[in-house]
Amino acid sequence: MPDNELLKLTISEIAPMIQAREVSPVDLTEAALAEAERRQPTLNSFITIMREQAMEQAEQAEDELSRGQYRGPLHGIPIGIKDNIATGGIKTTLGTRVLKDHVPDEDAEVVRRSKEAGAIILGKENLEEFAAGATSNNPHYGAVHNPWGLDHVPGGSSGGGGANVAAGVTFASLGTDLGGSVRLPGAFCGVVGLKQTFGRVSQRGLLVTSFNGDHIGPMTRSVRDSALVLQAIAGYDPLDPSTVPVPVDDYALVLERGIQGLTMGIPSNHYFDLLDPEVEASVRRAIAALEELGIASREVSLPSMEYVGALRFSAMADSVVTHEPYIASNREDYGPDTLYRTLAGQFVLGRDYSKAMKVQRIIKEEHARVLQGVDFLVTPTTPMPAPRIDAETIEVDGKRQKVRGPGSGHISRNTSPENATGFPAITVPCGFSELGLPIGLQFIGRPWEEGNLFRIANAYEGVSPSRGVWPDLG
Amino acid sequence: MPISDETLNRIIAEYGGFELSAEELELVKPELENYLTELQNLRDLDLSDVMSSRLLRAAEGAEADAG
Repeated sequence: MPDNELLKLTISEIAPMIQAREVSPVDLTEAALAEAERRQPTLNSFITIMREQAMEQAEQAEDELSRGQYRGPLHGIPIGIKDNIATGGIKTTLGTRVLKDHVPDEDAEVVRRSKEAGAIILGKENLEEFAAGATSNNPHYGAVHNPWGLDHVPGGSSGGGGANVAAGVTFASLGTDLGGSVRLPGAFCGVVGLKQTFGRVSQRGLLVTSFNGDHIGPMTRSVRDSALVLQAIAGYDPLDPSTVPVPVDDYALVLERGIQGLTMGIPSNHYFDLLDPEVEASVRRAIAALEELGIASREVSLPSMEYVGALRFSAMADSVVTHEPYIASNREDYGPDTLYRTLAGQFVLGRDYSKAMKVQRIIKEEHARVLQGVDFLVTPTTPMPAPRIDAETIEVDGKRQKVRGPGSGHISRNTSPENATGFPAITVPCGFSELGLPIGLQFIGRPWEEGNLFRIANAYEGVSPSRGVWPDLG
Repeated sequence: MPISDETLNRIIAEYGGFELSAEELELVKPELENYLTELQNLRDLDLSDVMSSRLLRAAEGAEADAG
């Protein structure tokens, strides 16, 4: 099979070929590196390509196979890591000039687990500065371009990962999601993006983040691959107190279960408000397809979402404290979006932060109550397809919305609530806009029930109009 | 609750050790305006009964408290 076709397979398709030694990890990694270098001038999806280290890892993977040692489905699989996740001995910039020379001493726990599972780290992927935004238009390392429309953003903040998975450069990429930063690139780049339950995956080694709702999650080309990656990185980390020792399901087994008898909740408020008509039409068609697959549906109401904007208070306050060590001494190294957005957080009062925590609580309780009556919620992942890179604002449903920087937030209005609840959510592609830009469908589940989300998303993926469609990158 | 430019600059200077130009202050304001709008939205929301589950369970008795 030619290299360009090998790179378009999913992990679950190519893993058996590696195990059977029909595909060599060295050849596959060489092909992926060549593709990464070929696409870099167009996509700008990497900050650091780790050619030397990747080839060393690949040779080790091949050597192990020759000795009959097979680590599992990630053995010899080239993946990408967002550049705010620590890699020992490798520059980890967080997409900012402030930390342009930062080299961590050791790998983040997810990187360690990925390597332990046999994955090959191709490089560190471009992102929004400090992972604080939805465009991946980075003022220091350049804008990441969406493979489906090079003038459009890939979503953020894990845009390099979304672009790489969509373009067939990496088989999976690990991103981070504090307001949708895995699911937004998932939706805009037409790939699967998972934000699992808070506490399921260690955050140790995720740099300069918030105490409230950050997650490291995978972007992949299929739901099954998402399950494979989560299987490798999930689990209690005694050195990360945010993780919870809840047993991790065998997702391969869960995926084999049917979806008959399940009921989906369709929110009557918030999630379907202020939508681009093309997004709403695609998502409604997806809901009809789910009903045809045998899933019952019920409208559900989440009235507390009227106050969801208050959840920004904690992010604003956290940001001020997070940047405190850097901002006074490195003001000139900050991009304007991060700088001015951060400064506004100085005005959040403690009592308002506390109120925001109470709002977070009632939203979480309300989601929990609703999810006792239905098995999962279905929503659009984003209110619109990917905006243009040069857009400052976009019009959605007759209202002008900021795309980036201070005062923005519309892009993440459907993803950020699940960072506050901590509940798992996954985006899968569900069609395209007239311009050929991907549209995402989001499933939200009960805590620790990622397996259910995988089997629902997997069933939908089989009938999605996005199935088997690739961006034309020449 | 309008915040004057003078106050804005003073509080930012306390935090970052630098002052912003009038043009730069305008770039901070959209985020701040969102915050003030959301505060206004919360004004009539009664949050007095919203407590952590631990406190609610404690009120139900010693057995629940032990859990």
